[in-house]
Amino acid sequence: MKFKETALTFPSFGWLFLFFVIPTLMVFAFAFKPYDDFGGIEPGWTLNTLYEVLNPDFAVILWRTLWLSGITTAVCLAIGLPMAYVIARAHPRYKQSLLLLVVIPFWSSFLVRIFAWKALLHPEGFLKQALVALHIVQAETTLLYNAWAVLVVMIYTYLPFAILPIYSAAAKFNFQLLEAAYDLGASRWEAFVKVFMPGIQKGVFTALLMVFIPAIGAYVIPDVVGGTNGEMIGNKIAQFTFTERNLPLASSLSLFLAAIVLIPMSTIMILSGSGTSRLEATGVSKE
Amino acid sequence: MKRSRFPQIVTLLGLLFLYIPILMLVLTSFNESKYGGVWGGFSLIWYKKLFQNEDVWKALRNSLFIGVSATLASTVIGTLAALALTKYKGFLQKLHYGMIYVPLIMPDILMGISLLLFFVALSFPLGLTTIFIAHTTFCISYVTMVMLARLQQFDWALIEAAEDLGADTWQMFWKVMMPLLTPGLLAGALLAFTLSIDDFVITFFVSGPGSTTLPLFVYSSLKFGSPSIINALSVLVLLITFTVLWLSQRLTTEKP
Amino acid sequence: MAKSLEFEGVSKPYGPVQAVNNVSFSVERGEFFSLLGPSGCGKTTLLRLVAGFEKPEKGRILLDGHDITQIPPNKRSVNTVFQNYALFPHLNLWDNIAFGLRIAHRPEDEVRQEVQRMLKLIQMEDQGHKLPDQISGGQKQRVAIARALINRPRILLLDEPLAALDLKLRQRMLLELDLIHDEVGITFLFVTHDQTEAMAVSDRIAVMEKGQVRQIGTPVELYEAPKSRFVATFIGDTNIFEGVVSEKISTDHIWLRIEGLPPIQCYNDKQLNVDDAVHLSVRPEKIHLMRDMPEEKPKHNRLPAIVEDVIYKGDHTNFWVRIDGHRVAIIQQHSRFLLDEKPIRWGDQVWIWWHADDGYMLERS
Repeated sequence: MKFKETALTFPSFGWLFLFFVIPTLMVFAFAFKPYDDFGGIEPGWTLNTLYEVLNPDFAVILWRTLWLSGITTAVCLAIGLPMAYVIARAHPRYKQSLLLLVVIPFWSSFLVRIFAWKALLHPEGFLKQALVALHIVQAETTLLYNAWAVLVVMIYTYLPFAILPIYSAAAKFNFQLLEAAYDLGASRWEAFVKVFMPGIQKGVFTALLMVFIPAIGAYVIPDVVGGTNGEMIGNKIAQFTFTERNLPLASSLSLFLAAIVLIPMSTIMILSGSGTSRLEATGVSKE
Repeated sequence: MKRSRFPQIVTLLGLLFLYIPILMLVLTSFNESKYGGVWGGFSLIWYKKLFQNEDVWKALRNSLFIGVSATLASTVIGTLAALALTKYKGFLQKLHYGMIYVPLIMPDILMGISLLLFFVALSFPLGLTTIFIAHTTFCISYVTMVMLARLQQFDWALIEAAEDLGADTWQMFWKVMMPLLTPGLLAGALLAFTLSIDDFVITFFVSGPGSTTLPLFVYSSLKFGSPSIINALSVLVLLITFTVLWLSQRLTTEKP
Repeated sequence: MAKSLEFEGVSKPYGPVQAVNNVSFSVERGEFFSLLGPSGCGKTTLLRLVAGFEKPEKGRILLDGHDITQIPPNKRSVNTVFQNYALFPHLNLWDNIAFGLRIAHRPEDEVRQEVQRMLKLIQMEDQGHKLPDQISGGQKQRVAIARALINRPRILLLDEPLAALDLKLRQRMLLELDLIHDEVGITFLFVTHDQTEAMAVSDRIAVMEKGQVRQIGTPVELYEAPKSRFVATFIGDTNIFEGVVSEKISTDHIWLRIEGLPPIQCYNDKQLNVDDAVHLSVRPEKIHLMRDMPEEKPKHNRLPAIVEDVIYKGDHTNFWVRIDGHRVAIIQQHSRFLLDEKPIRWGDQVWIWWHADDGYMLERS
């Protein structure tokens, strides 16, 4: 093959450099710029914009973002693990169908699904009426426009992101190892914890990151179903960009978000050599 | 050993959980009444209103236009990237790989705002072009990954065989490599297309007046407009996406 | 007349080692020539050098007298049968076989004729429409051969073509390969690590080790008269004794002094003198084993021994016996009905003997 390396690499390298690397650097740049009250950007550089980000209002949002993402991740793993296990153990005839069942909602428009939840959680909606009738909630409580709504919808949206990587690892797991464990006297639970889980730990770790990182950066979900009490960093960035037209502040906040995401992100980069694990769980909805 | 029913129960509940909103959506789209809580009777009125809505068609046209062009661009660029990464090792390719991999794990909102700042700094008007650029950018990474996986399974002895039988570089590329890569290319293209059609956050940040795509339209109707047509629209979108992805599945499970 | 293929001082490095180290030899026209050796010996590299997929660092390769060293693979009149056949999965068998001719823009009438001829040669006339994944391994190999031969190459290169087949199939395909070679008549260059394969079909074999050719000869020459310990032990099994010439019996025969054994008689084809060091190779099938002491005969070596291991294989038995510090392997054919005899067992005292002319002296290396 006579393809020259530079010629082959240039199109993608050039494009991504121009439209990915440089824009990312721009976020850095804008974060250090001062702003005026009319949506303009003043010349020069300052650290004030960054300092603003650290004010106590943001602390609330930051904290909410962290614990929402954390719980979402935990619940997704807790549900995803048994589901992935069941699918991996399923009869080959059902395996394909089960996977498809998991993937289909996930690959349909995510906006649509979030909207569906909004309708579901609507104060005059079917679900609310059912719950009131069962005396689980009062008539006045709103299911919508708070942190709990965000949590439920996030779990819903990111669950497939957790199932697929764990399934992928479970599919490669040699289940005869469990039989060996039973043979040596282990109980079902012991075998599960001491043999199965270590065996798929790479998949679990991938799932953890694949839920946590998008969750931290969530915007649409809190925007649609979160209201004021369910705001996350994503909302604030959008708010500063569009409502207050304060790009430097939005950049500073983005920088902050990037920093939080950087730690798990660099962990993935170091761990995964070929990067196909992300692709296996990849889907249409990018949230 | 006695089989615990626990995992199966969780699975069943999990699947139910995944499908309930979708079922709800389908039901409501046929609901005469405006409010989701009250059943007004089976009706196709919302579908009719949907088809009569001008803005929907415009948004659809934009989405398709961008979808097709971004798919073409990203498939070509992504395939070249995958070829480079497979053929060559070294520092350049390590850097190259990093540039392709990072966008995959970065939250959308970061990509959205970075591109917005980029266009603003260059005083480049926001519109279909900027959306096209943005979509191509994130699609490249996905296409590259798909093609990389395909190339790893590629039997390079076939290339040597073609050379052995007298083919020059051009003949070898068109008669052997392309036919064998076509299923992978189609899978990658389909993936890029679906990602582009469905993208919201990034598009939201880099779109301008008059460049509404379907997801943007859905969003604004959600927040400010009439939600009932959106029900119907959603069901249709679901149907189309299912079909497209079913096709994609068929292509990827077929023997290479 | 020029040789079909010539290597002149060819060297090719692989990282820090020389995959092919200063190789020079030639192949006659129409020969079935094999490159034989353990993995890593350089045989595949040598083949790829002929095909053109690798370029030598030093030396020249000549095809029918023409220097092809700098010519790219798609311009050489050699064709390769690859180890995993490399049949194009997106083309049916017909198009696979026709590939080379179509690349050369031959008229379609000619292509049709030739492909039909080839399908007939490999006995798959009505299967041209099939796809590679619809046929068996043995059939794939035949199609790969047809695809190569149709271009009328001057040499056909075969890269361990039988490696992917199971045992029974391998034996059958080997014979078919031999038949095709007889019919077509061109030079075959065959790479394998399996010495039985090489010996079964080759006119001559080059035995390679660590990038160098250790010996070239006919199968019989290599088996009966190996030039080195490596060749003697690589092809077939043998017993090697280290000794010193102690006395000359006559012009042709000598006595050897080997530690732990009584004096051994040997045929002196190497014209060695007293006190010369020597390796004696005696093949297991050339040694005889019996319970009672054999008669003393001239030019016969007889030795007492104790049986250490016995493996019965139906038509023959493998014995290992111990004499002092030596463990000697013996193969005994059962040409008479065996059940009437008392079997020889582990621990039995026996006698072994062989004829002085049946031992072979190796160069000490």
